[in-house]
Order: sequence, then C-alpha cells, then structure tokens
Amino acid sequence: MIHFDNVSKYYATKQGRHYVLKNVNLALPTDRNIAVLGPNGVGKSTLIRMLGGADFPSKGEITSEQKISWPLGLQGGLQGTMSARENVRFVARIHGYKNTKPIEQLVADFAEIGKFFNEPVKTYSSGMKARVAFGLTMAFDFDFDVLLIDELGAVGDANFRHKSEALLKEKYEKTKLIMVSHSMGELRKNCQAGLVIINQNLKYHADIESAIKEYNEHYVTTN
Amino acid sequence: MIKVQKRTALQIMSATVHALLMRELKTRFGANRLGYFWAIAEPVAQASVMALIFTLLGRTSVSGIPIALFLFTGILPFKFFSKLIPQIGAAVNANKALFTYRQVTAIDPIITRVLIETVTFIVVYVLILGTMAWLGFEVLPDDLLALLAACFILLTMAVGIGLLLCCAITYWPDATKLFAMIMSPMFFISGILYCATMIPEQYWYLFSWNPIFHLIELSRDAFFVSYTTPIGDWYFVSFVALTSIALGLMAFRINRQRFIN
Repeated sequence: MIHFDNVSKYYATKQGRHYVLKNVNLALPTDRNIAVLGPNGVGKSTLIRMLGGADFPSKGEITSEQKISWPLGLQGGLQGTMSARENVRFVARIHGYKNTKPIEQLVADFAEIGKFFNEPVKTYSSGMKARVAFGLTMAFDFDFDVLLIDELGAVGDANFRHKSEALLKEKYEKTKLIMVSHSMGELRKNCQAGLVIINQNLKYHADIESAIKEYNEHYVTTN
Repeated sequence: MIKVQKRTALQIMSATVHALLMRELKTRFGANRLGYFWAIAEPVAQASVMALIFTLLGRTSVSGIPIALFLFTGILPFKFFSKLIPQIGAAVNANKALFTYRQVTAIDPIITRVLIETVTFIVVYVLILGTMAWLGFEVLPDDLLALLAACFILLTMAVGIGLLLCCAITYWPDATKLFAMIMSPMFFISGILYCATMIPEQYWYLFSWNPIFHLIELSRDAFFVSYTTPIGDWYFVSFVALTSIALGLMAFRINRQRFIN
C-alpha cells in the first residue's frame, strides 16, 4: 500500500499558487499494475516524481512500506554531462555497490548503444536515453516492489520494446508498475487498475476500463 | 547478484558523497587530470608575478619575511575563499538531474564540493611550502594551531556565504556575477599584497570592517614569529563566521523545495 495523507502539491506561479493536488487522501494498492491517466500538464509526472522521492508534497505525506524505484523517464535521472557509463556507476555507488564493473556491463549489454555508452548523455537521442534509463533499473537486482515508469515506451524502437516487455514480464511476479503513458493500448496491455487525476484529486479505479472511460468522459472532446 | 541490505542514513549519505566525489573530481580537474596542475600553477604564477614586481620595486622582504612567502600566505587563503563560494553556489544546479534518486539530497553536492576545495587548498598549501623549504626558505609556521584556526574560520565563513549564494541563485541567476564583481576589488583591499603595519594608523578604519583582512592578518601573525598584527581580531572573525554559517544553513533549509524543481 502507498498512503496519501492529506497531500497537497502546488507550484508558485506569477498568478499565485497553482495546485496540482489538493488534500488527497488515498490508499493505493501495490499488488497490481496501475496506469496514471490525465491530459498534459495535469500533474502525472509530478505525481510519479513524488512517489519516487524525487520531489516532495507541499503539504501532507506520502508513505509506504514498499520499495519504490526512482521515476524512470526521459527528464531527469541521467546527468547530461556524464556518459551513460558514469551515470550507471553513480547509481550503483549511491546504492552501496563497491564493484560497479559488472553492472556497467549489464546495462551496456541491455542498452545496445555501442560506443555512445561512453559519450555524454546530452548527445543521445531520446530513444537512446530510454534504453539506458530502462537498462539501469533492470541491470540491478534491487527487488523493487513498485517500478515507476513515466512515458518511456513511446520513444523506443520495436527491438527495444520487445526486449523491455520481455524483461518486465519476467519481473511481473515481484515487481508491480505504476506507469504514465498516452498510449491506451500500452496501458491496457500492462495495467489492471487505473488512477485518474481529476480536479486536483486522484480517482482510483480497480478496473482499467472504467478508469479509461472516466478519463474519456472527463477530458476527451470528440467532434 | 548481490542483494542490497538495509543501510543506515549515515551509510547512505557517505555512499552518495563518495559517488558525487568521483563524479565531481572529473569535472573539477578535467578528464585528463590537467586541472591538478592548474590548481598549483595558478597561485604560484600569481605570487611569482607579484614577487617579481615587488623585487623590481626594491622590496625583497616584509618585516624580515621573504616576499614570496609573505605573498603566498595571503594569496592562498584568498583564492580558497573566492573559489569555494561560487563552487558551492553552483553545486546544486550542476547536479540537479541526480536528485531524481531519493538517496541524493541538495546538501550532498555541497558537502562534496567543500571537501574537494578544502583538500585541494591544503594539498596546494603544503606542496608550495614544501617546494620553498626545498629551495632553502624557512617555512615552518610559528603557531600551527592558530594558523589552522584561521583557516577553519575562513572555511566556515565561506560555507555560510556559499549557501546564501546558492539560495540567491534560485531567485536570481545573475547573483554569481554580482558576487564576482564584489570579489575582484576584495583582492586589493584584503591585505594580500601588504599588511596592517604598512598602513598609517589613521587609515586602519578603512580596512578593519573586512573579515578577510582580519583573517589574513591573523594567519600571518600565526605563521611568522616576526609579525604581530595590530588589527586582527579573533572575536570579530568568529562572530562573522558563526553569523554567516547560521544564516546560510537557515536559508538553505527554508529554500530546500526550490532546489528540486
């Protein structure tokens, strides 16, 4: 379970406080995969970042007994001036690994970006970044209970998708996902439950289809 | 694969600082390690040029102290101070992407940079003095403890101001430029090229407000038997250092949310 205890998150803007979440109280189950739904700018990434401990609520607390990964996404996580190898080494070190060589090798093998593995990350395409970001979590055996994924699949090529899906399947037993994506197909394929961000609040649906339905009713205008 | 065991907060922090240290050393000293050379060459070159000018003007010693040694004892602490503050100021922004990992917090890159600059300062200081001893100068400090105390107070002051600069940058990115503008005249009014006894007494009040002037005076007093500072005041510099570190830490704590976005 992930507990939201009166969580509010706002950003200071020129027009005053902009609330992303307001007084959210929720217990989110961690025994199934959850899709996070909402249009651009509604706070999906912020939510994922708060779950991953990269950002903090302005008020209230998010607590969990589970081991939650850092947010896997294209922004953040990889320092642009460092090469992928240095990034991997860094992450291994902060997790207390002394010998980082085998981990570097695992990520390099997974990412398959060749000599670019030793070039600064800022020279990478988004697909290459996704490969490294994904390989990074997969190479470690962290035993995360929950893996946070923020629109990582969208930029990968067929080969990478195939590979990452196979890896995720292998870990499904132990590791559950909380994922953000704008591709409903991808969400349907991976997730059983849904979380819709509406009116600065979180609405949990035990069934992904009802979550997608609410999202469509509330946000999608067809004409 | 090895399993990750539960670690204490201190273990996590030291692992993080170690990882940041490895990363920062590369950027600070360059991938080809040429930076280590510059760390030593820069103050040496500066002191040599100054010493040459002073020698050509006909001055080879200050109260019995060889001019080169006299200059080093001023230039090195000043360089340390003026280098550390912008380094701390930029520490958070340079490592922002790494805050994605919950182990890394805003204070970690700051601790890392303070460590790097302090160790560099000590190493450069010892290396230069060692070389001068080898050249035949008398380089042993008269009162080592007082010299270390002066350096420690300087460090405390620099960390406090650095933290304040770090917060100021989140509101106004040009704060670094303003700081650089303030620091360039400071080089000439902080008693690096001269000492208090060379200034007529009625003008002391023009210098006595400046804590860096005090610290350089105090460290020369500690270093040389033949020099006794008429101005340097331990209470004043300690007060300034304590105030700045307290304000710096408070501002850093209050603004901690601003560093992650």
